[in-house]
Amino acid sequence: MRRGALRSFGLPAPDALIGIGVVLALAAVPLAGPGTYLLGFLFTIFMYGALAGSWNIIGGYAGYLSFGHAAFFGLGAYTTALLLFYSGWSPFLTLPIAGALAALFAALVGYPCLRLRGPYFSLVTLILGLAMYSLTLNLPFTQGASGLFLPFLRVDIYTSHVIFYEIMLGLLTIVTAVLRQITRTKMGVGLTAIREDEDAAGTLGVNATRLKLQAFMLSAFLTGLVGGVYSYYKSYLDPSFVFATSISITIALMALFGGRLAWYGPLVGAVVLSIVNEMLTTQAPPQTARIVFGALLIIVIMFLPDGLISIIQRRLPAFVLRRAKQAAARDEIIGNR
Amino acid sequence: MLYELAQSLTSGLLIGGALAVLSVGFSMAWGITHVLNVAHCAFAVLAAYLGYWALNRWGIDPLLALPIMLPAFFLLGVAMHTLLIRATARRAHDLGLATMVLTFGLGVVMENGMLLAWTPDPRVLKTAYSALTLRVGPVIVQAPHLIAFGLAVITIGALYLFAERTFMGKAVRAVWQQPMGAALSGIDLDRVTTIAYGMAVATAAVGGVAMSLLYTFDPATHLSWLVYVFLVVILGGVGSMLGSALAGLIIGLIIGISSVFIPLAWNNLVLSGLLIVLLLLRPQGLLQR
Repeated sequence: MRRGALRSFGLPAPDALIGIGVVLALAAVPLAGPGTYLLGFLFTIFMYGALAGSWNIIGGYAGYLSFGHAAFFGLGAYTTALLLFYSGWSPFLTLPIAGALAALFAALVGYPCLRLRGPYFSLVTLILGLAMYSLTLNLPFTQGASGLFLPFLRVDIYTSHVIFYEIMLGLLTIVTAVLRQITRTKMGVGLTAIREDEDAAGTLGVNATRLKLQAFMLSAFLTGLVGGVYSYYKSYLDPSFVFATSISITIALMALFGGRLAWYGPLVGAVVLSIVNEMLTTQAPPQTARIVFGALLIIVIMFLPDGLISIIQRRLPAFVLRRAKQAAARDEIIGNR
Repeated sequence: MLYELAQSLTSGLLIGGALAVLSVGFSMAWGITHVLNVAHCAFAVLAAYLGYWALNRWGIDPLLALPIMLPAFFLLGVAMHTLLIRATARRAHDLGLATMVLTFGLGVVMENGMLLAWTPDPRVLKTAYSALTLRVGPVIVQAPHLIAFGLAVITIGALYLFAERTFMGKAVRAVWQQPMGAALSGIDLDRVTTIAYGMAVATAAVGGVAMSLLYTFDPATHLSWLVYVFLVVILGGVGSMLGSALAGLIIGLIIGISSVFIPLAWNNLVLSGLLIVLLLLRPQGLLQR
């Protein structure tokens, strides 16, 4: 009840307060003057956190596992890169275009493909990612396999690292806030219903087709934004990299690994796996890291279908669990209204 | 132009045979065990590498290595089904989706394992008969194409006879049609699905060797082969052997015809588009009633 009382005074929920605190602390990190290595590493973690979170809207909440999110990521990356390359417009200004194009593309392919259930949808998205790769490779204005070289930000290297760090942190915050907000709205309840039993959801008045399409477009929009920043950060991009199936796999794996049913699951997965990846790639060839990733995917699906956070949730003290349950029940009622 | 078309139709038809044998196991596993083995083509590429290895290390022709590979791959399939898939099935809410994620992980492990073992350089199989050709009227038929087609005919024919004539084959078909009914008539579901799964993986080995006779390959090739396989299985209907055979030939012909009119680089794009259109119009397969 105390939580409800706080809310009526216009204060956010405790988990949101913690989240805001963490974001502010992270935003202040560059003030302590860490090296470019640490900033770059944190940028990577934020980026995968944002990507896994975006993926989770359709893959986790709605249960439509997309194996082709690299298509949206690459589309966003190429949009801002081409606009910079040909028109000289800053990617920070053209980001919304990148997201909008990714969402538009999601609408075009999602409208037919979201009618496919389960494995059919996943395989088509996998193929879609491969098709986008072939397309970019062969289009005349993308410079194909030789890739695009982009101008750097006109500041020194350290400052540019700080700028990208803050922007990616901002994107991660937006994605996570959206992800959390969805669970508190009618949309989240509808998506859960679709995941559990789509036909039953339909009979209860959930407009499954529209809801799935909205979720897919939102997911693509956010993924496109991240891609749009990434190309500028790397200042070089080629199709084999931004449309790589390994990116689609990594995103999906992080969300599945962390736990796709809760809003913080993809974030947990992205942080843990990014650290694992960083430790592995400094010690061994990148293939070894991917073998470990694949093996982790196998282990998670075999033994922890609900992800890493299901262990944590089970280990929590009883009173926390009880309060969480009460809060969840209340949120569900709020969401239904 | 007409001559060119006849030429590409012939080679397309022969390529179609290789696609059919590559796909038949995938279709079988999906239909009978409800497992979407995304790693199916990774097994095929593994077989292609083993054949390449046998030839260049020991001078054994891949076709002669195949009889040794078949039981090995069968056991691999049995092991995979027993150790991985059954354990997953026990916990999963949705078997198709869970096993797809599982085999996806397996595919990633296999692809990168092969990258470590054999580097990403594309390989070309150069056998004693690689350069041999056969003239049929105005059309030139390459010997590897013909051999790949022969492999497909033998394998699919043997599978068909197995399904129609043997008790085990009938049990497999019964499980495909009506698992509950099959179990009620005393068929051991676990045993039948495991054997069917082993056979599916064994046919992937044949498919891989057949494809290696026609195309260059590298560890990442399995994903583009998967596009073909998926296309064939959707066209032919999930679980249908003859459907796969027929659909393989049709896809081969389409590849043959499109190679005349469309640059090779756009080929994958055309096939992906075709697949999406097909899924929208008839997700249950063209050849399925």
